[in-house]
Amino acid sequence: MTQLARRWSLTSIGTVMLGATALSGPAFAQAQDRGGFDLHRHFAQNFTPDHRGGGGGGGSGGGSTGGGSTTQQSIDPGPRGGDRGAGGAYPGLSQGELAFFTASTDVFNEVDAVANGLGPRFNMTGCGGCHAHPAVGGSSPPTNPQVAAATEMGGKNTVPSFITANGPIREARFVRNPDGTPDGGVHALFVITGRSDAPGCNITQPNFAAAVAANNVIFRIPTPVFGAGLVEAVPDSGLQATFTASAQQRRSLGISGSFNHSGNDGTITRFGWKAQNKSLLIFAGEAYNVEQGVTNDAFPNERENDPNCQFNNLPESTTNLTDTTNGASPAAGFSQDIIDFAAFMRMLAPPTPASSSTAAAQSASGTQVAAATADTAIAAAASSTSSTSPTSTSTNSSTSTTSTSSTASVSRGQQVFKNIGCQACHAVNQTTGKAAMTGASNMTFQPYSDFALHDMGTGLADNVSQGNANGRQFRSAPLWGVGQRLFFLHDGRTSKIDVAIQQHASQGSEANGVISNYNQLGLTDRQSLVAFLRSL
Amino acid sequence: MRRLLLLVSVVVATSLANWLGWRYGAVIWPYGTVVSPMPVPEDGKVLGGIYVNDYFDLSYPLPQGWTEGLAGPDPSDAGYYVLSSLVPQSEQNAAIMIVAQDMFFASKSHGNIAEMVHDFRQAMSEVDGMMIDREPTEVKVADRLFYRVDFSGVGLYRATFTTESRCHAVSFNLTARDPELLADLALSVDKLSSARKQDAGSPVPYCIENYAVPENLLRRVEPTPVGPKFMPIPVRIIVDTEGSVKHVHVIRATPEQRKSIEDALRQWKFKPYGLNGRAVEIETGLMFRFTVAEK
Repeated sequence: MTQLARRWSLTSIGTVMLGATALSGPAFAQAQDRGGFDLHRHFAQNFTPDHRGGGGGGGSGGGSTGGGSTTQQSIDPGPRGGDRGAGGAYPGLSQGELAFFTASTDVFNEVDAVANGLGPRFNMTGCGGCHAHPAVGGSSPPTNPQVAAATEMGGKNTVPSFITANGPIREARFVRNPDGTPDGGVHALFVITGRSDAPGCNITQPNFAAAVAANNVIFRIPTPVFGAGLVEAVPDSGLQATFTASAQQRRSLGISGSFNHSGNDGTITRFGWKAQNKSLLIFAGEAYNVEQGVTNDAFPNERENDPNCQFNNLPESTTNLTDTTNGASPAAGFSQDIIDFAAFMRMLAPPTPASSSTAAAQSASGTQVAAATADTAIAAAASSTSSTSPTSTSTNSSTSTTSTSSTASVSRGQQVFKNIGCQACHAVNQTTGKAAMTGASNMTFQPYSDFALHDMGTGLADNVSQGNANGRQFRSAPLWGVGQRLFFLHDGRTSKIDVAIQQHASQGSEANGVISNYNQLGLTDRQSLVAFLRSL
Repeated sequence: MRRLLLLVSVVVATSLANWLGWRYGAVIWPYGTVVSPMPVPEDGKVLGGIYVNDYFDLSYPLPQGWTEGLAGPDPSDAGYYVLSSLVPQSEQNAAIMIVAQDMFFASKSHGNIAEMVHDFRQAMSEVDGMMIDREPTEVKVADRLFYRVDFSGVGLYRATFTTESRCHAVSFNLTARDPELLADLALSVDKLSSARKQDAGSPVPYCIENYAVPENLLRRVEPTPVGPKFMPIPVRIIVDTEGSVKHVHVIRATPEQRKSIEDALRQWKFKPYGLNGRAVEIETGLMFRFTVAEK
């Protein structure tokens, strides 16, 4: 990224972060021309609470079929409304850290063009476009910005069948090479061919239609990065202690699990769907090159080497020799983008769960999180297939009664979560060790993950190996913030939590015992569990 | 000439059969007949409405109207097995899961099964809303000592029956939506019996922890490091009365790692294990972890 562009982007932060109006379609704010460079834009964050009852319309199905039932009526009322409770700085940061976070947030939200390093192949034009919901650092937003990104600036891309306007943001991986050997790598959706800033480039997209027809493509959606600094700060011994503490319950449920490890130093890796990335810096560096095509000091080489599509010196993002923030945050100003991305993620606060009472009030005012009886819950869910209408079966006059019931339901759901064995993998607590970030040392927090790999069976298998993770293993997805998530599971195949729960069961899955317990529960307890999850 | 060809054929066939037996742990009878492969824990299966596991010597008739459910995961790198999942054919109101934990590789070491069961009872009592309905109790089933613990919460009633077999904790985990159904399932455990045939061959090897240590080894060949690094790879071996490795069971590894370890271990030579003045066959465990670069 050029220093000029960076300078421009920082001066625009006030406009973007404080005054942007959410746009329909691709959620970016076109910046004013500053310093003669007019391609640099930022993803704006939608400050309007989202009340998408019933999720975002679901994906077009993963590359594999699930083992759970998807035919029964959903008991998930959809994402929780109200305050997003996410996207801000970790509380208690020093003044310098806060400035670093603020400036890094701006860099995270930048939209790249070819002159900044975009392409030759890419999935999206900026971090903030994918990590967007319910706030910057999250996951797929309601409207998939990849659809618009395909043809921005004259791009000639065909939008693959598995990318839809209301579906999840996805990257695609091919399972096998044409000769049958394992592939597993990301095949970027789009190329810069046709864009006005890429004259002469004429590469083509992969043949996704053929890959879909051959059942040779799997998908991944963006992982939220809220609270990632705390996750990074948990020592390996802490992860192992939490893992060992659940050994007895796991053993009674058919759950084993193991950690992924760095092939370099043998320590536990913990970021990404398969816990394949060691650190936030590696996570950022890989994504910058793989998702956007921007080479950097961690991943300095282009993945596409067609000489007609090389427009920049490499690496395209590198250390700045002057402070591009004009003193606002020299740490951010001198750093290359991936350092800023990592700093943003590291200092990004964990998502704030709704308290039981808050969840109840929000459910009564927006979508209904929980209901007093199973029947009313089903009625609420049944009438919430439209994503925007409030569907509570209660009226304003009965809000108090419903709130009390909902509070009880969330509380009961928490008990169900622990009793049937969800917590055996989605471990509630982790504790940091000594951390460089102010206020992050020796903190117990609630990610709802053991950060270990578990065999998820044939239903969720993507047949892609990463590090020690085989084609059926995935990291226990952290559940914090799941109450506001729109798409679930690694490929975003569903927008319903209860469907996602059922999909945990299939041949060979470690979760079969827990899902068996779930299916033996009464409907009210299942509804309570969903209410609890939507409170997170 | 024809007689010579016949003789060569017999020698080659016999050698091949014996090599296969040595390689895969099969029992070889005269004339090269492979009778049966040596059982391993994960080999158990439901046949004719009965769950049979030769390794653990278990035969368990399924309750009336029950069938196999979804299979569990592969054996873990901590020596944990989901042996079978059993479910009613009609309503999803109960389940049985048969599991085993290799005591050599458990994440937390327990001196004996009773200690492990008490630890389990303690862990369950600490789960929010969980009640212990029956403290760990000794029960005798099919001449085996089991420890039973009952517990319940959120409308699910559960019981575990745990016994020791070949240095494994083998558990029957029962879950039901009502206590009466759980009681019926508990009665079904009484129908457990031995899976061994009366004319079974050699006796079960003695189970000896930590026998694969330098003072007991006469020859050790290191496996070639292959596959992902830093993965724990648990292995069980059977050492015969001559100190040779008779059988190798790599519990969890990639195929390349499995082959590398098997090839190396078959070249190991131990001091024979002595018991009451005579050498006996033993079973022990060891853990590999490749930490150097793949060759």
